[in-house]
Amino acid sequence: MPCIVTLVHTMRTIAEINAKIQHGSAVVKTVEAVKAQISEIGITQTAKAVDVVVTGTFEPMESSGAILNLGHTDPPIKIRQCWLDGVPAYAGFGAVDLYLGASQPAEPLGAGDSPDGEPAHERGGGHVIEDLIAGKNIPLRAVGQVTDCYPRATLDTMINQDTINQFYLFNPRNLYQNFIVGVNGGDRPLFTYLGPLQPRLGNAVYANSGALSPLFNDPTLRLIGIGTRIFLGGGIGYVTWEGTQHFPLQKRLPNDTPIGPAATLALIGDAKQMQAKWVRGCYFRQYGPSLMIGVGVPLPVLDETVIQRCAITDAELVAPVVDFSIPRRVRPTFGLVSYAQLKSGRIKIENKTVRVAPLTSLYLARQVASELQQWIQSGQFLLSEPVAEIPCDRTFKPQNTWGSQMTLE
Amino acid sequence: MKKRVTLTFPYRTVHMPVTYRLAKEFNVAANIIRAQVAPNQVGKLVVELSGDIDQLQSAMDWMRSQDIGISLANREIVIDEESCVHCGLCTGICPTEALTLDPKTFQLHFSRLRCIVCEQCVPTCPVQAISTNF
Repeated sequence: MPCIVTLVHTMRTIAEINAKIQHGSAVVKTVEAVKAQISEIGITQTAKAVDVVVTGTFEPMESSGAILNLGHTDPPIKIRQCWLDGVPAYAGFGAVDLYLGASQPAEPLGAGDSPDGEPAHERGGGHVIEDLIAGKNIPLRAVGQVTDCYPRATLDTMINQDTINQFYLFNPRNLYQNFIVGVNGGDRPLFTYLGPLQPRLGNAVYANSGALSPLFNDPTLRLIGIGTRIFLGGGIGYVTWEGTQHFPLQKRLPNDTPIGPAATLALIGDAKQMQAKWVRGCYFRQYGPSLMIGVGVPLPVLDETVIQRCAITDAELVAPVVDFSIPRRVRPTFGLVSYAQLKSGRIKIENKTVRVAPLTSLYLARQVASELQQWIQSGQFLLSEPVAEIPCDRTFKPQNTWGSQMTLE
Repeated sequence: MKKRVTLTFPYRTVHMPVTYRLAKEFNVAANIIRAQVAPNQVGKLVVELSGDIDQLQSAMDWMRSQDIGISLANREIVIDEESCVHCGLCTGICPTEALTLDPKTFQLHFSRLRCIVCEQCVPTCPVQAISTNF
C-alpha cells in the first residue's frame, strides 16, 4: 500500500464535521448513495455536498473473541481452565479474566456425537458470545489453581452480561480489505471456511461486499487509523491496531485496490451495548464455528480525493479464484474476477460457467450502513480523529518449520 | 391438472414399472422430482402427476390397491426469516436454483415450486435457518 501524502485542498476538518453533526446539519450518505450521486453530478459537486460517507459490511470474521472479567468470588479463585456453555475459554492471565474465541468449538459431550467427528451440537464461542449479547444466562464451569491468595479450587455458576464486570469484543482480525474466491477443482466435495465447495468447479464462494466494503473505499487507509470510531456489532467500537496478517504490500491495481487479501484491522467495542442481530454465531459444516459481525465505518469527506476513492465500482475491483483442492499454503489460482461478475451470480472459469454465491450478506451490509447513517444524522455518533496511522509496509511472512522437511530441490 | 405426491412402495412393488403403468393405463405423466429406490428396500418417490382429473383419481386408486402409499403432505424446506442473515451461501449449492438472491436487494428468495427437497441447503446454512417441516 503506497504511503502517499497527497497535497489536496482540504474542504473540511473532522472538527468542523462534528460541529455540523451536533447542529444536525451534516450531510451523511451511504456509500451507495454517494456512488449514485457521483454518476449524476460528478466528483467535485458531490465532495462539496456530502460531509460523511458511511460504509458497512456483515460477514463471518472468525478471528474475533470476547474479553470477560467475572468479578471475584468469595473465597476467590485463580481460574486456569474454564468452559462457558461447554466452550473452553482462555484463562491464562488475570485470575478472573477470560478470553472466549469465536471459532472455539464446544467440547464433545462423548455420547451423542456422530462417528464422523462432527459434534452433535454445532456450537462454538461465536454462539456463546451471541447469547451473552442477547442477555441470556450462560453456565460457567471453572477450575482454579489453589494458592494462598486464591484458595478456591472450582466454580460452577451462571453468568449473564449484567453479572460480570467487563464484556467487550476484541477482534484481532476483522474487516479484510478484499479476500479470495473459493472453488474446488478436485473430484470430492470440500468443506471449507467458505462453506461447501462442490467438486469439478461445482460452485464458487466469495466473501467481501466489494464496492460497499469499507476498506475498498479508502484503499490506502488514509482516513482510517488507530482510534477511528466505528459501528461494531450494533454498538460503538474503535480501530485499535493493524489486524493480524495485515498485508498492505499485496499487489494492487492502478486504482490502489489490492488484487487479493490485503489490509486488516483489529477492532474493539463494548459488547454490553451490542445487539445480537449484528453479532451472530455461525457454523460451517465440517469446518467449525465462527462469528458473523456487522461493522460500519464512517469516512469523513476531508477533500475531493475522499469522494474520488468512493467512486470505485464493482467492475473495478477484483479477487483471485483459488482452488481449494490443493491443500497447500500457496494454492493454484484460476486468475482474477471482478466483483461485478461475482455479484451477477455467475463467473467463467476455464470456459465453464460456475454459479457463485456470496458469504457476505450484502442485504445486511446495507442495513449496517443505513443504521450508522441514522446514528450520525441524529447526533449520537461523532467522528474521531485517528491517533496513529495503520502501518503500510508490513510483509506477509510464511511459517516454515525447522528440521527435516521433504523438499524436491 | 397437476398433483405433487409422495409414493411409498412396499418392497414387493419395487419391481413394478409404476410410471410406465401410469402412462399406459391412465395417461398420467409422472415427473420424478426425487427418488430413493433400491432392491429389497422400501422405496420413496416424490412425483408430480399430471393428467385428466378423473384419470388421476383412478391412477391413485389403482396405486392404493397395489399397496403403494400416497401422501399429499410433502416434505418441504422451511426458512426461518428471523434467523436468516441473507448471506446467500445456500444459493450456490441449490441444484435447481430454488434459492436465489434478489439481484437488486440481495435478499434471499425461495421458490417452493422449483425445490426438489434435496435438503443440501439444510446443513450448508451457517446460521441453521433452514429446516424441513417434518
